[in-house]
Amino acid sequence: MKLTPESKVLIQGFDELGSSTHAALMKAYGTNVVAGINPGLGGHTLNDIPVFALVEQALAVVGAVDTTIIFGSPYQALDAALEAIAADIRQIIIICAGMPPLDMVNLLRKAETTETLIVGPNSPGIIVPGKILLGTHASEIYTPGTVGIVSRSSTLTYEIALQLTQAGLGQSIGVSIGSDIITGSSFLQWLQILDEDETTQAIVLVGEPGGNSEEAAARYIAEAIDKPVIAYIAGRQAPVGKHWGHTGTLAAVVGRGANVGTAQSKLAAFKEAKVPIAERPSQIPELVKKALKKGGGGKE
Amino acid sequence: MDLLEYQAKEWFREMGIPVLPSQRIDRPSDLKGLKIPYPVVLKSQVRTGGRGRAGGVKFVENTIDAIAAAQTIFHLSILGELPEVLLAETKYDADREFYLAVVLDAAARRPLLLGSFQGGIDVESAPELLQQVVVEQEFSPFYARRLSLKMGLQGTLIQSVSSIVEKMYQLFVQKDLDLVEINPLGVSSSGKLMALDGKVTVNDRAIARHPDIALMAEKKASRANSRYPAGMLGTWEEVAAGNVGILGNGAGLVMTTLDLVTDAGSKAATCLNLGHGRNLNPLPLAFGDRLKQGLEFLSQNKSIQVVLINIVGSIFTPGEIAEVIANFVQHQEEHPSVSKMRHAYPRLVVRLAGTDLELAKERLAAVQVLLVENLDEAVEQTVRLAKVPAKR
Repeated sequence: MKLTPESKVLIQGFDELGSSTHAALMKAYGTNVVAGINPGLGGHTLNDIPVFALVEQALAVVGAVDTTIIFGSPYQALDAALEAIAADIRQIIIICAGMPPLDMVNLLRKAETTETLIVGPNSPGIIVPGKILLGTHASEIYTPGTVGIVSRSSTLTYEIALQLTQAGLGQSIGVSIGSDIITGSSFLQWLQILDEDETTQAIVLVGEPGGNSEEAAARYIAEAIDKPVIAYIAGRQAPVGKHWGHTGTLAAVVGRGANVGTAQSKLAAFKEAKVPIAERPSQIPELVKKALKKGGGGKE
Repeated sequence: MDLLEYQAKEWFREMGIPVLPSQRIDRPSDLKGLKIPYPVVLKSQVRTGGRGRAGGVKFVENTIDAIAAAQTIFHLSILGELPEVLLAETKYDADREFYLAVVLDAAARRPLLLGSFQGGIDVESAPELLQQVVVEQEFSPFYARRLSLKMGLQGTLIQSVSSIVEKMYQLFVQKDLDLVEINPLGVSSSGKLMALDGKVTVNDRAIARHPDIALMAEKKASRANSRYPAGMLGTWEEVAAGNVGILGNGAGLVMTTLDLVTDAGSKAATCLNLGHGRNLNPLPLAFGDRLKQGLEFLSQNKSIQVVLINIVGSIFTPGEIAEVIANFVQHQEEHPSVSKMRHAYPRLVVRLAGTDLELAKERLAAVQVLLVENLDEAVEQTVRLAKVPAKR
């Protein structure tokens, strides 16, 4: 994963409405946004960013690009991502919400054979506080530091970052993998990235009901992660089937036991993996501090 | 969106999946013009399961019995759902019954083919009888044959069952489904197959790109006759018989707030997610309008005594949010006639985070609303207010 301020970034679904505003926010944060893509606006310039009709046209001018960020209509996200893959872009962040899951199935089949990392859909993307913003994170809440946050939600990620910031704990990376039934990057991938990241000393994993990715993450932490991990699961008290738009909380997992997917099953998995569990966001800072002390600030 | 059995079977027929001759019945008198021969099965068209046990399926031999049975079924509520139509279908004697389904699996991140040689069962109660095949790459019929063999089928059944699975998969992709299920698939003594009952769930996200399904969804919504059409405000859920309303931006944050309020000993009635307010597609109302209407919506619920507003990291700054909330409170005070709808408006507890908090605090103080910066304290305050007996 290339996450340095020098890495070149493209914005697809670039328009006057929202994405150009977000592109300007990213640029102001230090992200190297080199071009926007919009079939109808090729040749124009918006917020000092040159716009091209096609990805390959943009690359001919600005050179190879590390990451593309997809905004715009969720029904056009699959096409945009396939266009990026065809142009050899290997890091794709999908911001838009409402992408049909079968489009994601098609995209993942392609992404896996080309080793393309997909973050999202329905994700605020990635932030490396003080360095680079790849998406729509509320950057003013973050401070640079050593705690990595990986979550499935956007504003709940900000809540956790806020609690850490207020307790004097900065963050190394904040990422939400997205809250849909089918997402690109997984908790496992991000645990691995954060475990290898030199700045990160502790990891906060924020889960919610639905799917089995927290259960899989708990097993993976016990087996393969050396850095301390703190888990927090939202939605313990949410009635089953109520999801407020996070369709991922309804995600069916077939044949893996009736209980898989509930907050209780996830909490049990972290308990079994001996991962400290925060009962509320405000408990996270003290658990992180405790874990860092115990591990001497590095490996346990 | 769940389809009714008769709608699912129309799609099956279009795909070439065998279904019995049947007729849609809108009112009991329709049975006088029945075009299929007796004996006939009358089936209540409801979305809930277990309708057979509840008395929603009846065999009839003639028109007089059929009309009487139809009248009973039309008035039989199954788990709170009354049928708007019935399906009259030729009676069928199956020798054996299978189970077949295609479903989107979150863990495999792929469609999954499911099958069992013991159909008619409640699948969740007997998962060990269910065979699975993950459709890893682009679909090809060998995936369906793999399922048939795993189900233990032999001879010509391998090919005939596979061909039905193939058609189910085509339907699944063509119509953007979350689930298509045939349970049971009847098998006659001569090996002929028949889809006896069917379930289809269309993915809600994809409805808008299928004009035919969008029309079905529109009809369904107009029957439900809801005052706030889905998606207008965001997403709200009735949670419990409580007296707290929760209003937040983002599903995860709303769930966290609900957990905290519940843990602190209060019960939430309704939780409303306004959307996180950073994504600039596709809700029809701007964030500020959604907030205003959301407050109105929660205030109309007479059981709600306290509303906890928790908004973090929207493009709207705390100052702008406070302005909307303060205007709402002022409007209520200036228009007491509106309050005929209820004895007292709910108290507000506001928790915001962001850049211009001081401005927000001042604006809210002017209308006697307290801004609490700390989430735990905001929850404590909410629970304290919720315990004060309601004004009568």
